[in-house]
Amino acid sequence: MNQQPSSRPVGMLVATLVGAVFASGLVAAWRIDWWGEQGNGLSPRFGYSLEAYRRVDPALVGYDEVDRVPVALREARTMAVGPEDRLYVAGDLCILCLSPSGNKLATIALEEEPQCVAVGGAGHAFPGRMYVGLKDRVEVYGPEGKRVAHWESQGPKALFTSIALAEHDVYVANARGRVVLRYDLQGKLLGQIDGRDPDKDLRGFIIPSPYFDLAMAPDGLLRVVNPGMHRIEAYTAEGHLEQKWGKATVGIEGFCGCCNPAHIALLDDGSVVTAEKGLPRVKVYSSEGQFVCVVAGPEMLCPTATITEETRTEHKMKVHDVAVDSQGRILVLDPSTQSVRVFQKKRQ
Amino acid sequence: MADQERQVDRRGFLNDTFRVAGAIGLVGLGGFVAGRRGRSDEMLWQLDPHKCIACGNCATYCVLDESAVRCLHNFEMCGYCELCTGYFEPEPPSLTSGAENQLCPTGAIQRRLIEEPYYEYTLVAELCIGCGKCVKGCSAFGNGSLYLQVCHDLCVNCNECSIAVACPSQAFRRVPADQPYLPKHREGTA
Ligand code: SF4
Ligand code: SF4
Ligand code: SF4
Repeated sequence: MNQQPSSRPVGMLVATLVGAVFASGLVAAWRIDWWGEQGNGLSPRFGYSLEAYRRVDPALVGYDEVDRVPVALREARTMAVGPEDRLYVAGDLCILCLSPSGNKLATIALEEEPQCVAVGGAGHAFPGRMYVGLKDRVEVYGPEGKRVAHWESQGPKALFTSIALAEHDVYVANARGRVVLRYDLQGKLLGQIDGRDPDKDLRGFIIPSPYFDLAMAPDGLLRVVNPGMHRIEAYTAEGHLEQKWGKATVGIEGFCGCCNPAHIALLDDGSVVTAEKGLPRVKVYSSEGQFVCVVAGPEMLCPTATITEETRTEHKMKVHDVAVDSQGRILVLDPSTQSVRVFQKKRQ
Repeated sequence: MADQERQVDRRGFLNDTFRVAGAIGLVGLGGFVAGRRGRSDEMLWQLDPHKCIACGNCATYCVLDESAVRCLHNFEMCGYCELCTGYFEPEPPSLTSGAENQLCPTGAIQRRLIEEPYYEYTLVAELCIGCGKCVKGCSAFGNGSLYLQVCHDLCVNCNECSIAVACPSQAFRRVPADQPYLPKHREGTA
């Protein structure tokens, strides 16, 4: 009987304390700007936005998206088109071989993450042969997916980012070495192209980020992206520069950011398909470098409006690779939708 | 990556800063690293640059008149680009250090030619307000080598960091005073 009056104030004190802790927790949670909506109070000149550059004049878009082939890879990095328009997508420690309609034909398991892949076409000595670029070396696979060779490593400082095939030559882009390596079909190193010529004020390949792409053109010249110079350059097998074009601008006619384009592919007539990173845009240029049209702009390729301004690595916009099939359709490897998006030229 | 791996002690940070990272303008750097002589059992506030979304709150929510958060540069990750998108507006009229071309509203980034066409970008700590605009520009197109950190010669180590409360990305956490920085690391740069 005597204890009741003394336990009530203690209980009330405990309840008050618990309530106060709970309330301060609520206030603290309420004060957190979970979505960044409360604003930072800075004047607009401290803001950064690429919004103005996301829109593309619809009159400049020359292609329609006609199909989407799902790619069952967590991280699809790059792709190539082989005989009969088979798709070879590299990522997740394998090469996934798909029919043009997306049926899985084979999975070639790899011991290391693939960085690039090329598949011999009709113009190559071994159609269907697959060249897989690992970080520092090339592995060669027969059309049935059996490894037939692995070439000598270029050492721990190498980073292979692209492979292009001529009839009897294999060109490999080494982004860290800032050179293109030329091999014969047995993997013997024949030479290298460094893009330097002091007499002509050529300072070589400028590669600030690990994107350094190649493509073999119908005119027999190797197209090399010089991303830090925002240029496409054409070289003979001996490394003589025959052509260069491209300009740095966020405008649709040029290449945006510090280093672009990230990837290229070539149409049958020598026109160049380019894919930019940062502000993702896929475009077509004539073989002489004239802007022809847009295939897909940022509004089509960005999954969310603000992703181009994202700073967290795991949330950043992934880079699109491009390829061309035998019908002249442009294929865009889109890691964010885990698919190969197929674009066909608009009928006039 | 484990959080612990990202933390560095003062010596590690100095290595990162001078030898590979060369983070901040030399005038600011002296104060930046000399600042707090923390004991290992003391805990300080720091922000994880891998979680930060450069929202701008770091510039305005600090209790200090001038925020304790400043921008750093990891030279090891930088591409030394002629057209640095952390330094230049997205479409600069020209690639010169003219104010009209610069992204940073306070002119806190210095551009210096190393050898054509490579340029070095250095932060001037006194001019930086930690707004994160350059961090966004660098991440959008480049390697993300610009990043924010709490500067421990300025921070008064509030019990409850006002920026941490306002941070939409929960990027702030307590770190031991002998490992007070969370520098950014190279991730796949060429
Ligand atoms: S843009 Fe902002 S964060 Fe970057 S250097 Fe200038 S003031 Fe500092
Ligand atoms: S702890 Fe205080 S002084 Fe330090 S950054 Fe946070 S609000 Fe600013
Ligand atoms: S408040 Fe958080 S997200 Fe915003 S700039 Fe500071 S650390 Fe980054």
